[in-house]
Amino acid sequence: MVTRERVEAVLERVRPFMQADGGDIQLLDVVANCARIRLTGTCVGCPSAHMTLHLGVESALRDEMPDFETLHIN
Amino acid sequence: MTPNLPISRDTVVVGRSAKMRAVFDFLRVISGSESTVLITGESGTGKEVIATLIHQASQRKHRPFVAVSCALFSETLIESELFGHERGAFTGAVKDRPGRFEMADGGTIFLDDIDDVPLGMQVKLLRVLQNRTVERLGGTRTVPVNVRVLAGTKRDLKQMVAEGKFREDLYYRLNVLPLTLPPLRERREDIPVLMEAFLERFFRSRGEQPPEIAPVVTQAFLRYDWPGNVRELENACERIAQMCTCGTVRIGCVAASILFRAGARAPEAIAPATPSAHPPATISLDDRLRELEANLISWALKASNGNKSKAAELLQVKRSTLGDRIKHCGLGLGHPASASGDAAA
Repeated sequence: MVTRERVEAVLERVRPFMQADGGDIQLLDVVANCARIRLTGTCVGCPSAHMTLHLGVESALRDEMPDFETLHIN
Repeated sequence: MTPNLPISRDTVVVGRSAKMRAVFDFLRVISGSESTVLITGESGTGKEVIATLIHQASQRKHRPFVAVSCALFSETLIESELFGHERGAFTGAVKDRPGRFEMADGGTIFLDDIDDVPLGMQVKLLRVLQNRTVERLGGTRTVPVNVRVLAGTKRDLKQMVAEGKFREDLYYRLNVLPLTLPPLRERREDIPVLMEAFLERFFRSRGEQPPEIAPVVTQAFLRYDWPGNVRELENACERIAQMCTCGTVRIGCVAASILFRAGARAPEAIAPATPSAHPPATISLDDRLRELEANLISWALKASNGNKSKAAELLQVKRSTLGDRIKHCGLGLGHPASASGDAAA
């Protein structure tokens, strides 16, 4: 089951690092088995960071919830 | 930091931790030695780097250094690889070929992954180490080799001996000067130093100034467990050097797999051992030498089936001297004579 709480719990593992570097990772919504997040901070403009976080967060969500499908970044 | 060891910018063997200082002190003590060193350490802790250093600090530094991983070959291949073969020894042996031992003549051979040498091969290796001669596969000539032997293992050989997977006599032959490399997670205080050294190297190799590192990146690296040890840290730094686009190492440069596993760790679990929290590491030369002496004497006693006169001969000391030394290093009386018949000739 993909729930907002479970997605938040996964994001919470990396959030302190993001915040410590002047950024954040916000959960916008969870619809069906997909989630939408927004990244803020210095690293947002960096294409490498964008890819790393997109793939990394998505695979961490799938590890936690095998039925998780897609992560969208706004 | 290590005045007597040839450490250049590119051989990053750094560490201020007590454990690494103990390693460096040990290296300095044995730098003039010709004895076999057994280097134990998890994958990625730098066994080959240390082996290279030992070679470079030795009298043999101008002679070849040959490193060979014993895990790479099957039982038959390893014999030909180490000892060489003559033309026609087997299908495909179209010409004479010297083995690694002959190639290392006058220098040092590093036998990495010694724990992967099959039992059948171990006895052959033991013979070579004892007689310092090799016979090529399919050959009849005995070739003398003057080689210093270093061995590397990621497993506990003593444990393997107890399980019957490693020959005891070979173990004693190899374990003359034991050196253990600590995993990175047991010397976390070295992580920032290593990180800076690696990043500086990778950025400089691209002709760029070493970047500034955001403190949170160091935090994340400190919290991560580094199962691949220094090699994994080196790769993480190379990745950062390749991917960083803004000139500052920030959290977005760090691989997500590291971030998530570091984040799963409770912050209080990090507690990097600060140098001030520990007394400076000391190393007792007397204790180390006693340990070494005990090792050699046990080996000789085993090899001579407990016969002390024979053991004294093997060690090139008087019979009476051996008795004193046995007392000195606390081996005590009634040392069990080796029950196995695999004594050395």
